[in-house]
Amino acid sequence: MGCEMQTSLNKVQHCEPEIVASEKAIRTCVHCGFCLATCPTYVLLGDELDSPRGRIYQMKEMLEKGGAPSPETVKHVDRCLSCLACMTTCPSGVNYMRLVDHARAYIEENHKRPLMDRMMRSFLAFALPRRNLFRFLLRLSPMGKPFAGVLPGRLKAMVSMAPQSMPARHESESPQIFRAHGERKGRIALLIGCAQPVLAPHINETAIRYFNRLGMDVIVSEGVGCCGALPHHLGKVDQSHEMAKANIRAWIKEIDGEGLDAIMVTASGCGTSLKDYGFMFAEDPEWSEPASKVAALSKDVSEVLSELVLPLPVDNPRDLVVAYQSACSLQHGQKVTKEPVQLLKAAGYRVLEPQEKHLCCGSAGTYNILQPEIANQLRERKVAALESLKPDVIATGNLGCMAQVSQRTDVPVVHTLELLDWAAGGPVPAAIKDSLLTENGD
Amino acid sequence: MLMPAADAAIIGRRKEFVAELRKMVPGEGVIDDDASLAAYECDGLMAYRQRPLAVVLPETVEQVSQVLGYCHREGLKVVPRGSGTSLSGGALPLADGIVMAMGKFNKILEVDYANRCAVVQPCVTNAAVTERVTSEGFYYAPDPSSQIICSIGGNVAENAGGVHCLKYGTTSNNILGLQMVLMDGSVVRMGGKHLDAQSLDMLGLICGSEGLLGVVTEITVRVLRTPETQRALLLGFSDVESAGACVAKVIAEGVVPAAMEIMDRTAIHAAEAFVKVGYPLDVEALLLIEFDGSPVEVDHFIAMVNEIAKKAGAVSSQQSNSEEERKNFWAGRKAAFPAIGKISPDYYCMDGTIPRSKLPQALRKISELSDEFGLEVANVFHAGDGNLHPMVLYNADKDGDLEKAEQFGAAILTLCVELGGVLTGEHGVGVEKRDLMEVQFTEADLDQQLRVKCVFDDQGLLNPGKVFPKLRRCAEGGKMHVHHGELRFPDIERY
Amino acid sequence: MGEVFRPKNSDEVSSAVKDALNMKASLELFGQGTRRSLGRPVKADASLDMSALTGVQMYEPEELVMVVAPGTPMREISQVLIEHNQQLAFEPPDYGPLWGLPADEGTVGGMIMTGRNGPRRLSAGGVRDYVLGVKGVNGFGELFVSGGRVVKNVTGFDLPKILTGSFGTLCAATEITLKLLPLPPEAATLVVSGLKDGQAVAAMTRVLTETSIPVSSAAHLPAEIAKLSRVDSISARQNSATLLRVEGFGPSVESGIQGLKKVFGSLSDMFVLDKAETQQLWKEVTNASFFIQTEKPIWKLSVPPSEAAAIISKLGKGLTTQYFYDWAGGAIWIEAPASGDAGEAAIRGTLDSVVVGDGHATLIRASEEVRANIAPFHPLSPVLAAVEDRLRKQFDPQGMFNPGRMYGVRNAN
Repeated sequence: MGCEMQTSLNKVQHCEPEIVASEKAIRTCVHCGFCLATCPTYVLLGDELDSPRGRIYQMKEMLEKGGAPSPETVKHVDRCLSCLACMTTCPSGVNYMRLVDHARAYIEENHKRPLMDRMMRSFLAFALPRRNLFRFLLRLSPMGKPFAGVLPGRLKAMVSMAPQSMPARHESESPQIFRAHGERKGRIALLIGCAQPVLAPHINETAIRYFNRLGMDVIVSEGVGCCGALPHHLGKVDQSHEMAKANIRAWIKEIDGEGLDAIMVTASGCGTSLKDYGFMFAEDPEWSEPASKVAALSKDVSEVLSELVLPLPVDNPRDLVVAYQSACSLQHGQKVTKEPVQLLKAAGYRVLEPQEKHLCCGSAGTYNILQPEIANQLRERKVAALESLKPDVIATGNLGCMAQVSQRTDVPVVHTLELLDWAAGGPVPAAIKDSLLTENGD
Repeated sequence: MLMPAADAAIIGRRKEFVAELRKMVPGEGVIDDDASLAAYECDGLMAYRQRPLAVVLPETVEQVSQVLGYCHREGLKVVPRGSGTSLSGGALPLADGIVMAMGKFNKILEVDYANRCAVVQPCVTNAAVTERVTSEGFYYAPDPSSQIICSIGGNVAENAGGVHCLKYGTTSNNILGLQMVLMDGSVVRMGGKHLDAQSLDMLGLICGSEGLLGVVTEITVRVLRTPETQRALLLGFSDVESAGACVAKVIAEGVVPAAMEIMDRTAIHAAEAFVKVGYPLDVEALLLIEFDGSPVEVDHFIAMVNEIAKKAGAVSSQQSNSEEERKNFWAGRKAAFPAIGKISPDYYCMDGTIPRSKLPQALRKISELSDEFGLEVANVFHAGDGNLHPMVLYNADKDGDLEKAEQFGAAILTLCVELGGVLTGEHGVGVEKRDLMEVQFTEADLDQQLRVKCVFDDQGLLNPGKVFPKLRRCAEGGKMHVHHGELRFPDIERY
Repeated sequence: MGEVFRPKNSDEVSSAVKDALNMKASLELFGQGTRRSLGRPVKADASLDMSALTGVQMYEPEELVMVVAPGTPMREISQVLIEHNQQLAFEPPDYGPLWGLPADEGTVGGMIMTGRNGPRRLSAGGVRDYVLGVKGVNGFGELFVSGGRVVKNVTGFDLPKILTGSFGTLCAATEITLKLLPLPPEAATLVVSGLKDGQAVAAMTRVLTETSIPVSSAAHLPAEIAKLSRVDSISARQNSATLLRVEGFGPSVESGIQGLKKVFGSLSDMFVLDKAETQQLWKEVTNASFFIQTEKPIWKLSVPPSEAAAIISKLGKGLTTQYFYDWAGGAIWIEAPASGDAGEAAIRGTLDSVVVGDGHATLIRASEEVRANIAPFHPLSPVLAAVEDRLRKQFDPQGMFNPGRMYGVRNAN
């Protein structure tokens, strides 16, 4: 029977766009179950409660009933990676993202977590978006590593993920304009991100260098910080909104000033967030228009490159086998699937995609810290799939995937942009250089 | 939908049952909190819902055996569940029963190319089997539209078909063996990697038994070599009669294509709006015919059928000349259900089979019924084997619409039987068509089937309230069956 | 012995069964009685002769469906089908001559009740895949309907599956609905000479697993058996013959044969049989005609193809030199010594150790005495045997129909 789920969400709250969107999502679901096929948690656990369809059901019950949510429901909603593979699969077009975002916010407001959980989540929401603090804590983490074995799951996950050595701070963290080489063909704002500049500053460095070469001014604006995804996925809506406003404020200044051709993102996890700013402030008379403007200009680096009319430089093509890891935020969240592959192929690489490419690697923002058992299983699965392609290098468009996958494989893991830059005459990507050195017995 | 009256005494013992079950299936494997039970209250047929006493997710055959044995001793009913995509309510729980969800049985245990088979657990999805063997040039033939998620165990329960079952048969023709746990906990194996039953064809009996005879824990499926090439024809006709006649002519020429599907105007328009693949919008019926095999063979048959179609009055004809074009032809047909979901707030997908020659008659009568009930209907038809999927469009928010849709559906199924067909071709009877069984079968027919049920489940604990509209007491062999007045639960003569 | 009921229609069948019930008499069910040699000999109080229920009741070629009465001679059905270029795809065998009877005397009821399949079962399925519906009278004397006339049918239990191959022990079938398929216009067989058992099975497996050539059947005749073929080009070779049949429309068969030749390569000793020789040869394989001349017991084993050669090698030349493979190794026909248990212990013991329950051996021919004293059908596991026993009771409470035909005689109530 193809009838929709009936809902009776609290009519009092009906004006809020979140409620409307959630109700629509619930009504659109016809319970066909197709989403189960591509959901990482259902694939692993085989329990309807850990499937999108089952979560829709639980979230519906929770929102309709009101009051404190059942701890079981919280458990299962917490297990959702927000990878959005279900949205790609759903034949009826259920906007699951709206529903789960709303549910998370509801849970944050109505559910009292155990103290340790609360502290952990607050800590993550506070520390990760603040670059200097994050960097400082990471410098301390080697002290925790010897104890990693006896730490409980989440702490262990955090500590083991901390890098062995901290990369030096890159100048791109300071607001400035990086000027185009030669004739200026456009202005692109760069979201430098929060974790990315700390853990992998070379990505932003590469982006700036590459686009300067293409004739783009790359602008790092004053006041731009975390995109807000992190607190948003933890249900901390007020925080995420504040961060979004800060970014919008900064970029509107540029847009109203000299204008922007794009707001570019090199970590696809952030891209999904920026593109959603319009919805975030849909009902806000003051912020709605600026937010939509910003969202409309937000693009993943692969989209920016694909849309540029200029031919991209390929001075030094390398015939390497690249296993392309399609980040969830890119393939499901933003529906960008072909562009990175086409760009890599045009740059001369042999590109292969793994089996089960729709399945998340388990990084999913802070998921690998908060749900280590599931994240680890997904990582093993993803790494096995990538390695079975026998690649020379693994490329992806999101920092989270890079960090997650590189923990378990000796194959060098790089950002797609690094390979494009290398083929254009840029330097050898660090990960590849390191792996070559290791191969040579260093 | 009336279900057997719930046993209050059983419900009262819930805590005890849950505690015992937790001993057998530790960890998260026993669910009894209300918020979680909600997600298990229905399957693909959302109109009927019931929260069970508890949900059990066993991980091993041993656990399945222990749980069933326990339930048998305690008189606790059991509803098995696969992916929960049944369209006939086959996994609808009971208030005084547990749901045995087989989701943890999701591994492919063995692939044996030399013997051209694979051994899988019941919640491996249909598509996952093909995906596993495709790199070696094999595939699993039955392809129901929900194949991305429907489980092999569910396929066995419903004897699932799919668009290619015209040439390759249904699930029953594609499995070689299975392992099953009976209601009393005993584990039985039938068939294997060899052909032919050694005695009675139990395997054939279990296929299509809708979870009433046992819980399947392992299946040996045949895998076939992927055909060298596939090509399709998309033929438009100005009326359904000509499309049906074309199909008959094809068969009369001694040709059995891999698939033959017909869509009527409403379905065509909905599909085209949804996927935009270029379906002609000015035809009354589209006939999609596919051939597979060697290029020599396929090209020959495509040309041959093209000729037949022309003579049969096809007003438009397209041939696929590439894999992408072929997929395009199918995209609309495969998206028929969600496409209909877009043009109507709700829809009720029926499943009945008629002799192919009766298609024009059936559609005419369905159209009359549509006027009578005031509800629109779109038709998708497995033209090769007569399996009809009328989709009744309605609006659940409108008072009485659901009831009207159900009545319309029942009228269509009754029509199918009247035309010499059957109530269900592949979705199963479940709860949905249970009360129509007497339209197709006499009491003696149903009695004989119920006797078979007694062989496997003498207390009627496995999936009660499904398929059969009446209970019967399982008398000892040798006695004549007990008449209704002497039933142990006289109030359940009819639910 | 005893009364012979010869009903003319289903009502009379029902009355006859009810009479037998009242008399507490057992009944032997038969059409022409040509297949009595399959299974245990039946000693019954009375007989139910179904031969008067005869005739094709309905035939719609363009619907690929036919409804027949059980007593209809197979000869009649074959004739009708050939006239319309259609066939029963599973190649129902005729073991009459093996049992010393004239050829092709059997009825369709006997055919489905004995449930035997020919070489094309490999690709087309068995008789159980082609019986769409069965009407019959059960052991309560009730007339019941199961299945229907359409292929897509999951309305209630698939009783036609359990009734097909039940040797008349569950019901007296009064009407059978059969699925038909078109007759392929052309056929040819590639014969490869000189392969040893293991090589032959491996070769057939390679064809089926590494190519997409639509081989409809695959068999291997060791030299001793190939010599007995009436197809001159086979017997004249004085060597083993591995047989691969391709059927379909002309160019398709042509390209299939060419493809097969490539698989074996130019060093192989190969030749091709045309349509006529193909039909003749595969009829021999279907009917196991090679064993007509002797009167020794014959077994048909059903095994996973990968184990076929191992089974024969384990059985050893001590037991038999006369055997051949069908179903690409999934079937092994074995001629056994006439003495003692007709090789039962050796054959079943070998099966047990090699396939460990995944396979079985059925006695196709043996004297009445042997068949009375050993188990013609492979013993079931205890759980399955118990289920079968319960099942029989629910069709035939008094154990009246063909008592003991399939397994030991059950004590009636």
